[in-house]
Amino acid sequence: MSDGTPIQDDELLRLRHGTPEDRLALAGLAETDADVRRKLADWEQQDAALRALYDPVAEEPVPARHRAVIAAARSTRPRVPPAYLRLAAAIALLAVGAAGGWFAALRLDAGSPGPELAAEALRAYATYVVEVAHPVEVPASDEAHLVTWLSKRLGHPITPPDLAAQGFHLLGGRVVPDTNGTAALMMYEDDLGRRITLYVAPSADDAETAFRFVQSAGARGFWWLDQGIGCALVGDLPRDTLRAIAVAAYDQLVPA
Amino acid sequence: MSLLDEIEASIPMLRRYAHALSRDREDADDLVQDCLERAVARRDRWRGDGPVRAWLFRILLNRFRDQRRGAGARVRLVPASAATEPSRSGGQEDRLALHEVHAAIGRLPADQRAALLLVALEGMSIAEAAGTLQIPEGTLTSRLARARQALRRETGRDGRGPGGRMEVVR
Repeated sequence: MSDGTPIQDDELLRLRHGTPEDRLALAGLAETDADVRRKLADWEQQDAALRALYDPVAEEPVPARHRAVIAAARSTRPRVPPAYLRLAAAIALLAVGAAGGWFAALRLDAGSPGPELAAEALRAYATYVVEVAHPVEVPASDEAHLVTWLSKRLGHPITPPDLAAQGFHLLGGRVVPDTNGTAALMMYEDDLGRRITLYVAPSADDAETAFRFVQSAGARGFWWLDQGIGCALVGDLPRDTLRAIAVAAYDQLVPA
Repeated sequence: MSLLDEIEASIPMLRRYAHALSRDREDADDLVQDCLERAVARRDRWRGDGPVRAWLFRILLNRFRDQRRGAGARVRLVPASAATEPSRSGGQEDRLALHEVHAAIGRLPADQRAALLLVALEGMSIAEAAGTLQIPEGTLTSRLARARQALRRETGRDGRGPGGRMEVVR
C-alpha cells in the first residue's frame, strides 16, 4: 500500500482545509478514488484523536491568574466618572469572582446586606419579568427620560448598558422598593423572548464584593456590592451566559 | 463584544492549543499567562485588521518560540507514559491509540506541530493558519502534510506501539 507522494497529499489537504467549494471538489475526487478515501478517513481519525486528547483542557475552569489579567485590565480604564467606575469595577470583579469567590470571602463581613439585595433582585425579577402588559414603567423608547429618572431616584447616574451584541435589547426600566430605599430595575429581552434584569440599589455600607452567584427556583444571577452600590444581574439563562452578558455590560458602562 | 471580551472568551481555546503544543501543563499555563499579559498590554495598539484569534495565536506562538529558545538545553527525559496527557473517557483500545497519538505529536518538529494543531485541532483553514503563522500557504500545507504523514507512520498501523520507550520532552 503506497502512502502517495507529499505533493498529492498537499493538494488533497489544500482542498480539505480550504473553501466550501474546495471541499466539494474533494468529495468529487473521493467518489472515484479509493486511495483518496483512505487518506481522508485517516485524517478524520487523526482529527478525532486530537480533539479527544485536548478538548477536555478547554472545558477545565480557567485558572484564576488568567482571569486576573483580564479583571485588572478592566479596572484600570482612564477618565471614568465615579459612579460608573464603581459599577464597572464591580462588574470587572465578576471575572475573579467566577473563579471561585475567594476574593469576596475576604471582603464580605457577616451580616452584610448582600444576600438581601440578591433576594430582592430575584423577587423583582420574578414579579416583573412575567408581566406582559406592563413589564416596565418607562419604555426604552423614552431612554433619555429613563436615564434621568432612574439616576435622580437612586442618587447615582445610571445608564442602561446596551446589550445588543449579546442579543438583548432594552425593554425599559422601573423603580422598585428596596430595603435600603429605592432600586432601579432595568429589563432586557432577546429575540426568543427571554428576559433578564439588571437591579441596581444603594447599599447601606461600603462593603466590596466580587461577583457571587445566586439561584432561586426559576432564576439565577450574579450580585455584588461596591462602595455604596449594589447590583444584581438575574435571568433564567445558563450561568456562563449570564456572566458573559454582565461582562459585556461592563464595557458599555465605561467610556473608552 | 469588546476586544477584552474577545480575549477573555479565547482563554479556553488558547489553553487547549498551548497544552497540545507545549506538552507540559505548567509550561502551557505560563504560555497562556504570558500571551494574555502581552495581548492586554498591547490592546490599545490593536487596529482590528484581522481576526482576534489569529492575533492571539501569533502572540502565543512567539512566546512559545521564546520559551524554547530560552530553555536551550533544558531537555527532560520522561517515561512516555508519564508525559502530560489530558484525561479522557473511552475504552482500553481508544486509550492506547490516543496515547500513541499524543506521543507522536510530541515527536513532531515544533513548526509542524504548530501548523497541524492550528488546522486539525483548532479548525482553521489553510489560509487562516498561514496568515496566523505569517508563512505562505504552500509552506503551511507542506508542513501539514509532513505532520500528518508522520502521525500516520507512528500510530497504530504498523504495530509499533510506544511501549516503555522513553521520549524526549522539550
